[in-house]
Amino acid sequence: MTEQAMRPQFMGARVKRVEDPRLLTGQARYLDDIDLPGMLEIAFVRSPYPSARITGMELNAVKSAAGVRAVLTFEDCPILLWQRDSYQVGQPVLAHNEVRYVGEPVVAVVAEDRYQAEDAAELAVVHYEPLQPVLDMVQAIEELPRRVHSHASNVFYHKEYTTQGFSDAFAQAPRHLAATFRTTRQTAVTLEPRGTAAMPDPASGRMTVYASTQSPHRIRGDLAELLGWPENQVRVIVPEVGGGFGMKANTYPEDVVVVWAARHLGKPVKWVSDRTESLLTDVHARDDIHEVEVAYQDDGRIIAIRDHLMADGGAYPAYPFSGAVGETSLASRVLTGPYQIPYIETVIDCTYSNKTPLGAYRGVWGPIASFVQEGIVDRVARSLSLDPAEVRRINMIRPDQFPFRNAAGMIYDAGSYGESMEEALRLINYKDFRVRQSALRAQGRYRGIGISVFVEPTAMASSEAGSVGYESVFIRVEPTGKVTAAMGLGPTGQGHETTMAQLIADQVGVNLEDVVILHGDTDSAPFGGGTGGSRSGPIGGGAALVAGREMRQRLVKLAAHLLEAAEEDIELGHGQAWVAGVPDRAMTIRQLAEIAYTHVKRIPPGMPIGLELVARYQPEQSVSFSNGTHIAEVEVDPLTGLVQVVNYVVVNDCGRLINPLIVEGQIHGGVAQGIGSAFLESLRYGDDGQLMTTSLSDYLLPEATDVPRITIEHLVTPSAGEGGIKGMGEGSLIGAPAALVGAVSDALAPFHVMVDRLPVTPDDVIEWVTARV
Amino acid sequence: MKPAAFEYQRVTTVAEAVKLLRDAPDAKVIAGGQSLVPLMNFRLTRPSLLVDVNGIKALQHVVWDGTYLRIGSLVRHQQIADHAEIQKHFPVLAVAARHIGHWAIRNRGTIGGSLAHADPASEWPAATVALQAEIDVEGPQGIRTVPASEFFQGYYSTVLQPDELVVAVRIPYPKFRLGFAEIARRLGDFALAGAFVEDDGGQGFVTWFGIADKPVRVHTVLPDNMEARREAWQQALGTLAIADDSKSRRHLAVQMAERAWQHSRLEGGKYLSEEAAGGDPL
Repeated sequence: MTEQAMRPQFMGARVKRVEDPRLLTGQARYLDDIDLPGMLEIAFVRSPYPSARITGMELNAVKSAAGVRAVLTFEDCPILLWQRDSYQVGQPVLAHNEVRYVGEPVVAVVAEDRYQAEDAAELAVVHYEPLQPVLDMVQAIEELPRRVHSHASNVFYHKEYTTQGFSDAFAQAPRHLAATFRTTRQTAVTLEPRGTAAMPDPASGRMTVYASTQSPHRIRGDLAELLGWPENQVRVIVPEVGGGFGMKANTYPEDVVVVWAARHLGKPVKWVSDRTESLLTDVHARDDIHEVEVAYQDDGRIIAIRDHLMADGGAYPAYPFSGAVGETSLASRVLTGPYQIPYIETVIDCTYSNKTPLGAYRGVWGPIASFVQEGIVDRVARSLSLDPAEVRRINMIRPDQFPFRNAAGMIYDAGSYGESMEEALRLINYKDFRVRQSALRAQGRYRGIGISVFVEPTAMASSEAGSVGYESVFIRVEPTGKVTAAMGLGPTGQGHETTMAQLIADQVGVNLEDVVILHGDTDSAPFGGGTGGSRSGPIGGGAALVAGREMRQRLVKLAAHLLEAAEEDIELGHGQAWVAGVPDRAMTIRQLAEIAYTHVKRIPPGMPIGLELVARYQPEQSVSFSNGTHIAEVEVDPLTGLVQVVNYVVVNDCGRLINPLIVEGQIHGGVAQGIGSAFLESLRYGDDGQLMTTSLSDYLLPEATDVPRITIEHLVTPSAGEGGIKGMGEGSLIGAPAALVGAVSDALAPFHVMVDRLPVTPDDVIEWVTARV
Repeated sequence: MKPAAFEYQRVTTVAEAVKLLRDAPDAKVIAGGQSLVPLMNFRLTRPSLLVDVNGIKALQHVVWDGTYLRIGSLVRHQQIADHAEIQKHFPVLAVAARHIGHWAIRNRGTIGGSLAHADPASEWPAATVALQAEIDVEGPQGIRTVPASEFFQGYYSTVLQPDELVVAVRIPYPKFRLGFAEIARRLGDFALAGAFVEDDGGQGFVTWFGIADKPVRVHTVLPDNMEARREAWQQALGTLAIADDSKSRRHLAVQMAERAWQHSRLEGGKYLSEEAAGGDPL
């Protein structure tokens, strides 16, 4: 590798995002901005029942309503998600004979505009015979009160794992405790809701699908397979996406119906979710129970954890992955977090219910596992009257133990676990905190600190972005020397147009503004998995580095030939190639490119014409762990039950940073979402199976004023992969809830409170505080 | 989430508005639209006609004559928060105004709209009851004056007839100082509980909102001893039909009454700044 590549100019720099001017001035084009001549719009008639048989439909009034072009039911569009046999159950894209959750699409009304579609949808009469809903996952495991799908067990995923020697170690430990941890349904609530549009091209016969998705190639493959079309007849274009957070990694029933309608009506068709539809039908997440038993020693050393993990997967497995399985299976494997807890025994049960399907939400398993893991450590510390930081120290994996094999068999590459915690403790001035805390308590003020040391498995071989363990980059140095690169990633706000350009500019030796990154069009982008599972940086970025390097080698070879120098003497940078030590012997990359495309006789023998190539990168390791520590200081008002976050520090280690500004933005957002998880967000179902939080006045999100100033420091433990990059898209939301509710436990220690649920509400605090009075 | 079809007419006089309301019984008045428009988008209400009253100049005044404060129904929440004479003579109103929603909502929403909407968790209905205000409503027969204590009938329900329009609120200068307090999950949310308290020296009145189906001004003793006062709040609360009754709701109601009482003992200017400093960043 040449010198510049080892001393990158752009990688690691605080480069401002090239996306921001268009986003901040309102110039970005989102899915709902797609407006094609003659475009029709869909409104869905959705199930008002959590569970009911459909005994009849009267749709004549709908069909004859003004502006209506088509009224579709399952009879028209008989497509099941999950036609493969992974699960015994596949959701019909429009309900078939039975509805299984409130909001399930039943009838699609296609009209000239959304107003007319909604007016007509109101006229639909669907006769239902309500059935008893299945709403409690603990009962559902026992097939009570009944099966959600008569032909399939309610338990659709069951797995057990035991570290060898668990039973003896557990039994012989001197101390034991038990706790149940409960997380509450949430959903991503992207600023831009879901949406799909489809435009048949009568000339070519192909279908252009506009999708607000994280995985352009995956949704193309899904649609082609579900609709039975050749894949090359479908082109997916992803416009600007206003947030995904895992929720837009699925293919949804509405996507299939929109594309089907466009084909059969021969017209462009669009559907954009409204906020109520989003809360009802975007995949939900975090509906988990962990029943935990812990064995530990008098010095705070934790010996063994037993955990029964349960997740309510909703009415159907979301397509093409179930969030319930994602949340539990990985949680069970990383439940020991950064601690060297030698034994674990886990039982997983994922169940069907009459609720919205569970999918992915940023962090997936992580926020749950961290909440459980840090809750265990805090309980051990409290029971022994030890300092919670000290108990973490005793259990922490030491630097000399990497690569570390945890109790579930996961291999951790090197990280800075202990160091991140010590640095975070220093930043929040932990040494003096206990003094401050007791002084304030004497005044009736309740402050607490919560420590969350997290691990974040990133760049995994499979994730919600599919089982594609690699990414691809097509790169072209244009005849004028500018660089265009296309990727299969599906950015939803991460700033890939900036970070990937940084990596490529360094390698190719051009300036940042000379690189344009394309994404989200399956006609131009090479095949890739998309964005999800914190893979875009380490795998996509790795592919950008490899592609850039291969292009660099080609340019060096060409320059060496033309400048009559040895390849190892050629340097590239600032749009120039020159002979090392002889800056006068130079050519611009523009000149090189012109020769490569037009004066091709001057190309050295054996070198291909032009400057275009595709490179792929698959990390050798199947996973790389980022890590870090979050510490929250909160003040709990025992009179109102409100919690104020007064101080927040993050020490983050995601290996080599591509752009610290973007990394910090990711962390800020994750902490904000963590505040939502810890104190506000909750999708509540009534005893009748109705979702009661169907607007943003009921489903509370953190607002700007709820988010404190956040102090961030970076540590750098490079991965063994390309560029030393680790992923970091989820770590901040993995770490934050545990830190925040841990701080509430600490603040309310005088009331013997140990938080066992997410979120903590004012009602909870008042209950805990007044129960002791 | 699109409203059902409706007609729209903009008027410049109350008489025009009343005539339109009389002729189309399922018409609705739109002023700031901060409650009505979401309800229409959810199709929870579907008026045939929207009568836009924003152009009626006569409803946009605030007048303080030394005895009464008269606020036209089209005055925006933020105008009340910012009004120098209201801040000076009725600081409790300026403070309450700042708890309504966010800037964008306060810049559009009107006091008349809030009163007519009668959300039991909102500030203005309770404020008018606590301050013993009178509400002027105009209909085909002219103007009638309704005491605030008789105006609100329950959830989103008032004595306002379909062909009547709230035109003004008249608030007498209170003999004693009032205090206000409110708690919401997030800044700007509807109240979990809120209270106006008037301390007449050893006794007084508390008017809660967000607790029952409508604001009620309840007489109570106000002893100096905090424990005794807590007992008094509990007693006062016992006279109300509490919605979604729970231990925490009662707890919050008592806390807010107590906090409002504390605020009632502060001088106007000090009240405005103390209340702002007390964890209510605006």
